[in-house]
Amino acid sequence: MADAVAPKAQPSWKVALLLLQPLASFVATMAGALFFVSALLFFSPGNAADVVAQDEQLRQALVEEWGLDGSVFQQYGAYLTRALGGDFGVSLTYRPGTSVAELMAAKAPDTLFLVLTALFLSVTVGTLVAFWSAGRPNSLSRTAIQWLSVPPVFLVAYLGMVGLDAWAYGSTVEKGLTPPPWFPLLMETSPVKTALAVTVLAFASSALTEIHGTAEREIRRIRNSGYVDAARARGAPTWPHTLSNLLPALTTLVSNRAAFFLGGAIVVEKVFGIHGLGDVLWEACRKRDFPLVLGITLLSAGFVCGIRLLADWVRLALDPRQRGGT
Amino acid sequence: MRSILRWSLTAAILGTALPTAANPLRYAEDQAPGIINPLFTTTMVEARVNELLFDGLYTDNQDLATTPAVIENGQVDPDGMGMILTLRSDVFWHDGTPIQADDVVFSIESMQNDATLSTEAGRVEWISNAVALDERNVRLEFKSPTFHPQDKLFFKLIPKAQFSSTTVSRTHPFRTQPIGTGPYRLESYNDDNSVTFRANSDYRDGVGIGELVLREVADKSYQAKLIQYESLEALVRVMPQDLAELSKSRKIELYPYQTNSWWFMGFNQQKAPFDDPRVRQALSQMVDVENLLAPIGTGEILSGPYVKSSPFYNHDVAPWSNDGYAAATLLEEAGFLRGDDGMWAKDGEPLSFTLTFHQNLETSQKVVINLQSQLRREGVEVLTEALDEAEWKARIWRQRNFDTLLSQWSFDRNEDVYAQFHSRGERNFSGYSNPRVDELLDQARTASDPYDKKAALRQVHALVREDAPMIFLWTLDSYAALSTQIRNVLIHPFYFFTYVGEWQMQ
Repeated sequence: MADAVAPKAQPSWKVALLLLQPLASFVATMAGALFFVSALLFFSPGNAADVVAQDEQLRQALVEEWGLDGSVFQQYGAYLTRALGGDFGVSLTYRPGTSVAELMAAKAPDTLFLVLTALFLSVTVGTLVAFWSAGRPNSLSRTAIQWLSVPPVFLVAYLGMVGLDAWAYGSTVEKGLTPPPWFPLLMETSPVKTALAVTVLAFASSALTEIHGTAEREIRRIRNSGYVDAARARGAPTWPHTLSNLLPALTTLVSNRAAFFLGGAIVVEKVFGIHGLGDVLWEACRKRDFPLVLGITLLSAGFVCGIRLLADWVRLALDPRQRGGT
Repeated sequence: MRSILRWSLTAAILGTALPTAANPLRYAEDQAPGIINPLFTTTMVEARVNELLFDGLYTDNQDLATTPAVIENGQVDPDGMGMILTLRSDVFWHDGTPIQADDVVFSIESMQNDATLSTEAGRVEWISNAVALDERNVRLEFKSPTFHPQDKLFFKLIPKAQFSSTTVSRTHPFRTQPIGTGPYRLESYNDDNSVTFRANSDYRDGVGIGELVLREVADKSYQAKLIQYESLEALVRVMPQDLAELSKSRKIELYPYQTNSWWFMGFNQQKAPFDDPRVRQALSQMVDVENLLAPIGTGEILSGPYVKSSPFYNHDVAPWSNDGYAAATLLEEAGFLRGDDGMWAKDGEPLSFTLTFHQNLETSQKVVINLQSQLRREGVEVLTEALDEAEWKARIWRQRNFDTLLSQWSFDRNEDVYAQFHSRGERNFSGYSNPRVDELLDQARTASDPYDKKAALRQVHALVREDAPMIFLWTLDSYAALSTQIRNVLIHPFYFFTYVGEWQMQ
């Protein structure tokens, strides 16, 4: 019984190497993402000077002042050097003159809250339902989750909000009453709007289906393993074994879906009128505000890579096999 | 069950309802202003904010005639080479200090300073020198004799005390803490991208509405919904498809206003076959302009580069008529033959081109699709492409890399089309060149007699219609929507808020 064999201990230098490998991958991914976005911006038609200038003389002067005349490698190198020193530059066209760090600090909390809450909600609900539906071939909850990913949820959410606004208007303003503070949803910052946005991000699209499906498969595998059989034979509860053995797989899921949720936040922020990083990134791309786009890229890549790094280390801690044990 | 749900929802709504404070006037813009500094204005959103916060030396009165704003009077030299301006004594910056002649000189010099990289430098390039004679008197000298220079003195003034030199950086803190002499001062730039403005209590003529709030609402159809919900009090421009719905509301008033803007379809004359005037004229006659306009709103069809209310519009010149037979004759003269498939071709090459348009041009997609369909029926293949602002400026303005384009020109009161039609004009993207038009445009710029200017520009109108560097389409009727709570509303066709100080809220 392989499950019963104790893993063989590894020398500490090998463990240290295993811990450092993800860190090296972190740095390489950050640098690669930054270069990829730099290249995309460089080869996109038009630049920040084009957006601002009304005449050629001014455009040339701005190109020179903003260093847009260098090659993609020069621009990338210059930005990377500044960024390593903690200087993310200033916005050129979105909020000219405002520091990128200041803009990101103001907008990041909303986006991070949205992403992390949705991620937590999605993984928790997907896993709980998987516990219920695993081993039940005709589970209604599984069907419900699969159906949830079918309709165009962003559109439904938008229409739902418009409907809610119409309802609130008819119930209050039209009758001479003061409307609630969240009315109208798309315009006002309110917990109601944030809750709706989190719900859409957590349950829309294929994210929940994928989390549920992966968790369900893993639970079935664990439930069929020898140590669970042994626990069952002893009359002990099996769920602690299932949960502890599920954690590495869940960690992988969270780290894989983090990037997806971050990308989804851009769409959700546009649909719900939330002025977070996604909204800023959208406008910054339209206006070719390269320091701002690169700053947000670094922050986003850092967030995703950070979660992956953490997940790698957590997996190493939880699963002895990953530390090289047999 | 349904009834329980309905009552629960209503109870929840009422349960969270809160009393509201005194109403500000909330108006919608597609995007918040990027920078609030009149030296660096690039969008109409910023231009409208400038109108709230800053004054020019002159402004438009309600009949759109030039009238002094922060000056008592201006005396032009008999030779038109200079003038002396005397400032009013009751004009104060938002920090309470009086405006002085040094501020006027500083505003001009900072715009003229190459190191400032001001987007507004063109507004003062005709001034050779500005000198403060004392605290209230300024002398301006011009590079050449200038007829009625007051019409060019609308640029906004900024306070010298806020800056250390005439080299002003875009990053200067003034961009977020602007100080002007206008009817409103900036109260706060908020996290939700809204901007709050408070009435300037020192404003010389008084201000009717205590607070204005600019709300960023990117979705134009939602803007109309919001004013219906009474969550906005003003829309700068109503989309044509929302007019019928808004006009039904008893709580909304629609205000028509005429803009100095016109739509056109331009040809790149640096490229075949548009270098042949017969092809351009033929295409002009293939297009049914009325049919193109109908789906996007109402307006006036134009025959040249001015709106019909302009003194320079030549009413003797008619738009090209929609005449397929005449168009076919012209194309045959230009060497094209219509094939069995109904498509025009020359030397085996089909008459086919790409129509490029700006994705921010409202309702342009409808026009493009309709135009594509019309020309296909006439045997011309049209491909389309939409560009964003950066790509538009790079491809059209800089590289002039296009076949045809659909766009709109907007003008201030001077309606100067030199840049568009002079062979040396900076916005002459289509490469149009007619020596006679150049001569007339030069004459119009230096004419000291308004009748001479009018005559020259009317001739320009006739000539460019004939040369057909573009198909002149229309000027759209524009409507602003305001809550009926707002009274005494008068709207400036270009800057919108010029008369906002006189607006009242019930």
